[in-house]
Amino acid sequence: MQLPKRAGCTALMFLLVGFAHAQPKFLKKAANAANNAINNAVNTAVNGNSNNNNTGNDAQQAGQNSSSTRSGRPSNRGGQGLVSTPPDVAANLTASEDAFKKSSYGEARYALQQAMLGVELQIGHGILKMLPEQIAGMPKEAEADQVTSTGWGWAGLTIRREYQKDDKAMDVTIANNSVMLNALNMYLASGMYNQSTGGQQNWKQTKLKNNKAVIEYSDGSGYKLSVPLGQTTLLLLEGVNFATEQEFMNAANTIDVDKIKELLNEK
Amino acid sequence: MKSLYCFLILLAAAASGNAQEFTKQMTTARTAYSSGKLEEARFAMQQMMQELDIISGKELIGLLPAKLDTMSANTSADAVSGTSGFAGVVVHREYGKAKPDGDVPAQVEIITNSPLISGLNAMLSLPLLGNSPDQKVIKISGYKALVTKQHSDGETPEFEVQLPLNSTLITLKAPGYSQEKIIALANTLPIAEIAKRVQ
Repeated sequence: MQLPKRAGCTALMFLLVGFAHAQPKFLKKAANAANNAINNAVNTAVNGNSNNNNTGNDAQQAGQNSSSTRSGRPSNRGGQGLVSTPPDVAANLTASEDAFKKSSYGEARYALQQAMLGVELQIGHGILKMLPEQIAGMPKEAEADQVTSTGWGWAGLTIRREYQKDDKAMDVTIANNSVMLNALNMYLASGMYNQSTGGQQNWKQTKLKNNKAVIEYSDGSGYKLSVPLGQTTLLLLEGVNFATEQEFMNAANTIDVDKIKELLNEK
Repeated sequence: MKSLYCFLILLAAAASGNAQEFTKQMTTARTAYSSGKLEEARFAMQQMMQELDIISGKELIGLLPAKLDTMSANTSADAVSGTSGFAGVVVHREYGKAKPDGDVPAQVEIITNSPLISGLNAMLSLPLLGNSPDQKVIKISGYKALVTKQHSDGETPEFEVQLPLNSTLITLKAPGYSQEKIIALANTLPIAEIAKRVQ
């Protein structure tokens, strides 16, 4: 009984090995066939004919097929996306008050959270507006501007702007009112940082317009400057391909830190 | 009974104080917002959020039963504390007479509006977790919950029931009760009513 079983196992192994060898050839053939079909379809759509003498209807069909998945379900070819609708602060405050009067505290809370979200987004956009249009010859990447707020107190408000020209770039991140950030701020502002002097100096304490800061450098990511502002805000500047620390600091100094503090009500 | 009335009157007085503070902060937020002082408006809203959480917490305490099994609520130990927006507001009620070593026969804790709880709830809802020998997924008043065997003290195991509701977590601890008994106790809690209030 053992012999047929062993023979069965051997046969199965051969089958598997054979399939494994055959599979790349089969996949290659399938890929070639698919490529040919797509090329024909594209040629037909662009030139109005093809090597295979497809009609206009065929071309249209092929064009539709090229944006479909293999199962025939169409894939999205793009759209305008969602319309940006920041919450209406005044309306949400009224909604919150009304719900509160009816003792619907869950609803009151939701409306209040929306109002907070609206205010935070406005604060964020106000800060983006006052940031320079360009830093050290690098223009802002307008489409990369970002204001993130969850309405949850712990996650806080994050504002981000990117500047870039050729291979030189600077990212500005302002994080405000995050509970986790408070601990980091305390650590940074405490002056308890040590500095090493042996070999390459990778980070040290510095100042940005009279605000205590920590500057770091690594060959992989470039310069990074962390500046705690007041009690709950951190300004983070990251520079790539700056030749020297001084060049990076000059760029950092073009940011109006006092205005950021004023807008975020930081002392 | 008299002490329960006193407690309810005190609770109503405290809630009224919170309501006044909410209204005051609402006025501040509106004034600051209309004059373009966005950060001040935001701060006032954060204060309102805190007041709202405390008011809802007090309301939740009022929903909890006066008795759990044969144990009466120890209303003097009732507490609503915490920070909204981070760890959440903790509503705490004890039942029965505390033992000399400080252990309480039963206690209910409700943590509300905590983003941390949302993460925990996601984990609790994973069926794999319920397969541990010390944990079992059960249903309390139609809601999924987790009963967990805590560290065994000698030969008597302790159980606790955790019931997640979005960003809220209800926990019942009753050290002297068996698994079946603690589930029966949890079923006497007004879960549907609590769920309605916290959502």
